[in-house]
Amino acid sequence: MKKLVLLPLIATLAVAAAGSGGASTQSPAAAGSALIKCGKTRTIGMAAPLTGDAASLGLQQLRWAKFFVSRYNRAHKTKKFRLVQGDTQLPNTAQALAVAHQFASNSKILGLVGPAGSQEVQDTVAVYKAGGLAAVTGSATRVALTRSKPGKPRETPNGWFYRTVPNDDQQGARVANWIDKQLKKKRIYIIDDEEAYSQGLADQVQALLSARSGFHVSRDHVSQSVSDFSSLITRIPANTQIVYIPWQLAPKAQLFFTQLRANGKRAIVFGSDGLFAPGTFNAVGSYVSAFPIDFNSAALKAYTKSHGGKAEAFGLPSYTAALVNATAIDKACKDGKASRAEVHKFIKKTNLAKTKTLLGFSVRFLSKNAGASQGPGDMAAPADFAIFHIENGGKYVRVG
Amino acid sequence: MHLLLASIIDTVRQLGWGGAFELLRNGIVLGSLYALIALGYSMVYGILKLLNFAHGDIYMVGAFLGYGVFTQLGAPLSPVVSIVPLLILTFLAGMLGAGALGVVVERFAYRPLRNAPRIAPLISALGVAFFLENSVLLLTNGNRYNYNAFALGGDPNTGLPGTLFDPVFSVDGRPVTVVQVLVVATSVGLMVALTLLVRRTRLGKAMRATAYDREAATMMGIDTDLVITSTFFIGSVLAGAAGVMFGLYIGETYHFMGFLAGLKAFTAAVVGGIGSIPGAMVGGVLIGLTEAYATGYVGGQWSDLVVFGILILFMLLRPTGIFGARAIQKV
Repeated sequence: MKKLVLLPLIATLAVAAAGSGGASTQSPAAAGSALIKCGKTRTIGMAAPLTGDAASLGLQQLRWAKFFVSRYNRAHKTKKFRLVQGDTQLPNTAQALAVAHQFASNSKILGLVGPAGSQEVQDTVAVYKAGGLAAVTGSATRVALTRSKPGKPRETPNGWFYRTVPNDDQQGARVANWIDKQLKKKRIYIIDDEEAYSQGLADQVQALLSARSGFHVSRDHVSQSVSDFSSLITRIPANTQIVYIPWQLAPKAQLFFTQLRANGKRAIVFGSDGLFAPGTFNAVGSYVSAFPIDFNSAALKAYTKSHGGKAEAFGLPSYTAALVNATAIDKACKDGKASRAEVHKFIKKTNLAKTKTLLGFSVRFLSKNAGASQGPGDMAAPADFAIFHIENGGKYVRVG
Repeated sequence: MHLLLASIIDTVRQLGWGGAFELLRNGIVLGSLYALIALGYSMVYGILKLLNFAHGDIYMVGAFLGYGVFTQLGAPLSPVVSIVPLLILTFLAGMLGAGALGVVVERFAYRPLRNAPRIAPLISALGVAFFLENSVLLLTNGNRYNYNAFALGGDPNTGLPGTLFDPVFSVDGRPVTVVQVLVVATSVGLMVALTLLVRRTRLGKAMRATAYDREAATMMGIDTDLVITSTFFIGSVLAGAAGVMFGLYIGETYHFMGFLAGLKAFTAAVVGGIGSIPGAMVGGVLIGLTEAYATGYVGGQWSDLVVFGILILFMLLRPTGIFGARAIQKV
């Protein structure tokens, strides 16, 4: 009888032991302070939504991070990087936390790319901090993650969150100024997609334009699950000049544009960086705010060629986030050993040239507040958004 | 509350009769699609007393199959055949493919559980739904695919719409396009065909007999297995047609599209009277109109709330639905 009980128990323990091979699991605190031998292959964790509603965004980020790793590994003979993926299933908080605990406990992981969403950064950064991992993300743009404002405290501990994207306030200000000074349009209809990213930007642009004289600004909302926009489009007054849609899903925005035109409405559509998707969002005559990507860069051309002709620009900052981590890890590993604390120290001191970042500007992180909306962890000037116009054939041309 | 009412009144005034017509148009088109999906729910419930929660995902697979043929034939930018045969082939792929899938699902996921407690096939249906969604997710990497029928016959350089989106007529400047007429006409045609099949054919008679009393039907020599399989096939064909039409009209096809559409079609079936074919048709249009007017007059974030609120109301006040009859239980 005892044998019948013991044998399956032993088998279970054996399977569990085999399953944990490749990962050294410790408490987050222990993993955080552990000094590990760097060896030939160093590990970066990548937390992104690889399945679920936001999978199309997370997979772009993963592909760009993998692109960085493969380029790095080809260029270096004696040192390599590998990515360990964690599927956060945005907006599944429980899953994001599970990934955070898993990464924090895995002492082989020296750096972190992600998480992707502003809400999941807020939910998980404490876990990463406990494990000594600083989050370096290519997409969470909520202002409060790096800057406290009256009535709204900073949402991450200072020094543990960095982003290789400008924040929502920078983007919102850029868009509002462009609409006002360049396009000179006054009748604006803003539609958010009910997600934190979209609402933040929509609030920002609405507040900035409503404060200026002569503007008629209306606001509406639509769920990301909606595909039939016909009744929403009915609500848009016929004399609307600009429809601002700070959405994350480019295919949805393309649908919206075609339905808008099919319903006879000629308003200009203005999208945010989430819609910067040549080949997907082809709304001729529209504008998009995004990073000043150099379309002529060899790296971008190589990525586009190897990914079915798609640049997948939303994921590009994750390449930069991986670069930040890799550079910091390389410096920490100079003596053959590194700890997360050392890597963190070098992340704070990041100073990457414009030619390497693919963002169109150099990358350094602020250590204190700057201007009206930036805080520690944001990129220092000249990081800012560019404006692109979509021309005939769906070609993106930078106009600002 | 009074602020919301004031906002609604203001919006009604702003949109005027033109806006009201536009919302009516939108509601009828959307409702036609819901009606087609709801028919599948009603037919299967009528015969087996089973809520086939995988039905929405069969609609999703139909949309994908139609997309596959549509794009393989070079559409929308360079179709190798003219528009009519292109649409016929797209519809056939979506409808027959969905029909075949419905038959397979019935055979392997539901038939073995026919004599099991009622909860067993229900759980199996949920399992099939998740299986289909996640299978398609894996195959497509979560990407969204767009029929982009908007560009069919159009000019990709200027972004102006093509043939399917040409206006057939306008009311107060609000166009009713070719594709909208196509969706409504096709849906009505299919519903009429189904009604004729159920009322005028031997198979239809057998379906009605099986729905009334399966055991008795078997004893009378009706091959109830064949009848049930046919029911699943027909219901899935209709769902496949709805999937293709959604793809042509709205554009988007992705792994999760069947979830909400399925829930709303289920609501339509319940509102109309679950098990009732005319009920499913009326319920579908009603839900479509509700969604359109709720979105148009109150706001997009309210439409799902209103639609599912109606479901709760009907369950509380008239659980048998508009056309459903109370079942008399002998004691």
